[in-house]
Amino acid sequence: MDFLTLTRRNLWRHPLRTTLTCGAIAMAVFLVCTLRSLVTTLDNSAVASRNERLWVQSAVSLFVSLPQSYQAKIEAIDGVDLVCKWQWFGGIYIEPKNFFGQFAVDPEKALSLYPELTVTEGSKEAFLGSRQMVLVGQGLVDRFGWKLGDKVPIMGTIFPHPDGADTPWEFEIAAIYQSSKPNVDNQMFLFHWDYFAETVETASGTAPDVGTYVVRTHPASDQSAIMREIDTMFENGPQRVQATTESEFQAQFVSMYGNVGFFVSAIGGAVLLAILLAALNTMLMSAREQTRDVGILKALGFSDGRLFAYMLGQSFALCLVGGAIGVSLALLLEKGISKAFAAMLPNYAVIPQTIVLAVGITFVIGLLAGILPALRARAILPVTALSDR
Amino acid sequence: MSNSMIICKDVSKSYQRGGETLSVLDHLDLEMEAGRFYALMGPSGSGKTTLLNLIGGLDRPDSGEVTVAGAPLSKLGSGPLASWRAANVGFVFQGFNLIPVLSAFENVRLPLTLTPLSKAERKKHAELALSIVGMSDRMDHRPSQLSGGQEQRVAIARAIASDPKVLLCDEPTGDLDRESADQVMDLLVRLGKEFGKTILMVTHDPAAAARAERIVHLDKGKLGHIESNVGA
Ligand SMILES: Nc1ncnc2c1ncn2[C@@H]1O[C@H](COP(=O)(O)OP(=O)(O)OP(=O)(O)O)[C@@H](O)[C@H]1O
Ligand SMILES: [Mg+2]
Repeated sequence: MDFLTLTRRNLWRHPLRTTLTCGAIAMAVFLVCTLRSLVTTLDNSAVASRNERLWVQSAVSLFVSLPQSYQAKIEAIDGVDLVCKWQWFGGIYIEPKNFFGQFAVDPEKALSLYPELTVTEGSKEAFLGSRQMVLVGQGLVDRFGWKLGDKVPIMGTIFPHPDGADTPWEFEIAAIYQSSKPNVDNQMFLFHWDYFAETVETASGTAPDVGTYVVRTHPASDQSAIMREIDTMFENGPQRVQATTESEFQAQFVSMYGNVGFFVSAIGGAVLLAILLAALNTMLMSAREQTRDVGILKALGFSDGRLFAYMLGQSFALCLVGGAIGVSLALLLEKGISKAFAAMLPNYAVIPQTIVLAVGITFVIGLLAGILPALRARAILPVTALSDR
Repeated sequence: MSNSMIICKDVSKSYQRGGETLSVLDHLDLEMEAGRFYALMGPSGSGKTTLLNLIGGLDRPDSGEVTVAGAPLSKLGSGPLASWRAANVGFVFQGFNLIPVLSAFENVRLPLTLTPLSKAERKKHAELALSIVGMSDRMDHRPSQLSGGQEQRVAIARAIASDPKVLLCDEPTGDLDRESADQVMDLLVRLGKEFGKTILMVTHDPAAAARAERIVHLDKGKLGHIESNVGA
């Protein structure tokens, strides 16, 4: 009890120094929590997306398209249930920062392909009813305040409107969906392939190719055999393809941002090292000031082990308070960050394992920063400590 | 022998400085009776503090045996030696005795956490010790809010709080003005007389030494004569 008082008062002896160190630890732990949560969120959506869907795209690059004729050929493969065109549109809604994914799809197939999409407003029929109709995610509705029947102009960047690049494509919101799974984006904008294809043909004179095909396999079928078959089918062109499972496909987007896991570990590691040095510095200074106290405590009969524990305890107290603030901050800002990253990274969440990791890291920092002063306090002879003034 | 509280037998202590060996205590023999007040005098560098530290178990001799309150200190490991200190000796140093972040009361209560006393008893003992030294009204002051003399009196309260047999004081009045020094000396004398403590006090101050029952002279690591002070 007296040692708790001693710890508290000694840390508070230099309020500014302690506050700064604590704040630095809090910031570092917050940063590590948040970075780690970005990774786990990415991983989670990859894991959650394990399903019967395959993505077929050019083996050369994400930006090379495939002939429309491939659809029927893939459909003919044994074990393939359904093939849906999935074309990235890449348009701009009012201004570039309103980024979200627009896709030209076979509307009926897309809905059957994604049972995770539950139409909550409007209806499936309304969406299928006319060619300019779109199905949008609840995430977009929340973001832009859209409602059923709204006309949404999208400026085509890759695919300009036939009336000129300044004319936006016109869409009408026919239905709104809510995604029931974290791996299925709640901010998609799905519209009719036919409308897309005809408009592009009017503008450019040629029918568009298809960016990707999404394939659904039979639950009982061998996915890897089907993937191999698709790959070999088009080995001799005109476009070689690569089939991947949806989870791998999503992971590939992640790797497009660079190796996020490694990147995050590197930054996190550097931040933690810096913070360890800061904590160590504070502890060394604090321990230095307490040398005489250590001598007095030893003279009073406190054992070497007690003083070891006391010094280590001070370091733990300093780091754990900082760590607790950091973790609280990460949890407090979870909603805000989730909102801010919603377009790029849906369903950002701080999972319990991340909190456990952060607490563990805090303990390790506390241990590393405190062990040296603690060992010194244990080893120093009372006479030596007492002669320090 | 049975009446001896402190026995130093053939005690030597030297320090290494640079390549040289500095002999501080040289085959020293000394006995001190229980319940008496000793002053230890000698020129600066004669080894007074060194001797006091050996007797208090804060340091170990190179050779020889120090026996205090019946315990041969060389036989105790560092853990048992710490426990032994807690139970048997109280220290008062020249200055900066107190833990700066604790109040006077908390400083005095601190060593009592090493005793089996209950929380309420610890409080009572600490308050009693502070009242003996006349510092009850300054209990909640931090050391920085106390004068030098008051600080020393609190240090004495802490030294006697767990009721040790031996009090070891290293120049307790060294930093004090005459009046404060006299108060501290009054207190030490009283502790010897009323509470039967064996007291060993290092001092340069002849007036302070004059209040002790015996004066031990130390010179160049050798014991000089021991004076009996009839007046005290
Ligand atoms: N840790 C140490 N390392 C090296 N030499 C030391 C050490 N401690 C004391 N000495 C030396 O031992 C000698 C005796 O020191 P000690 O402190 O016992 O003297 P003292 O009689 O208490 O002197 P003073 O009256 O000045 O306090 C001195 O020469 C001192 O420099
Ligand atoms: Mg000395």
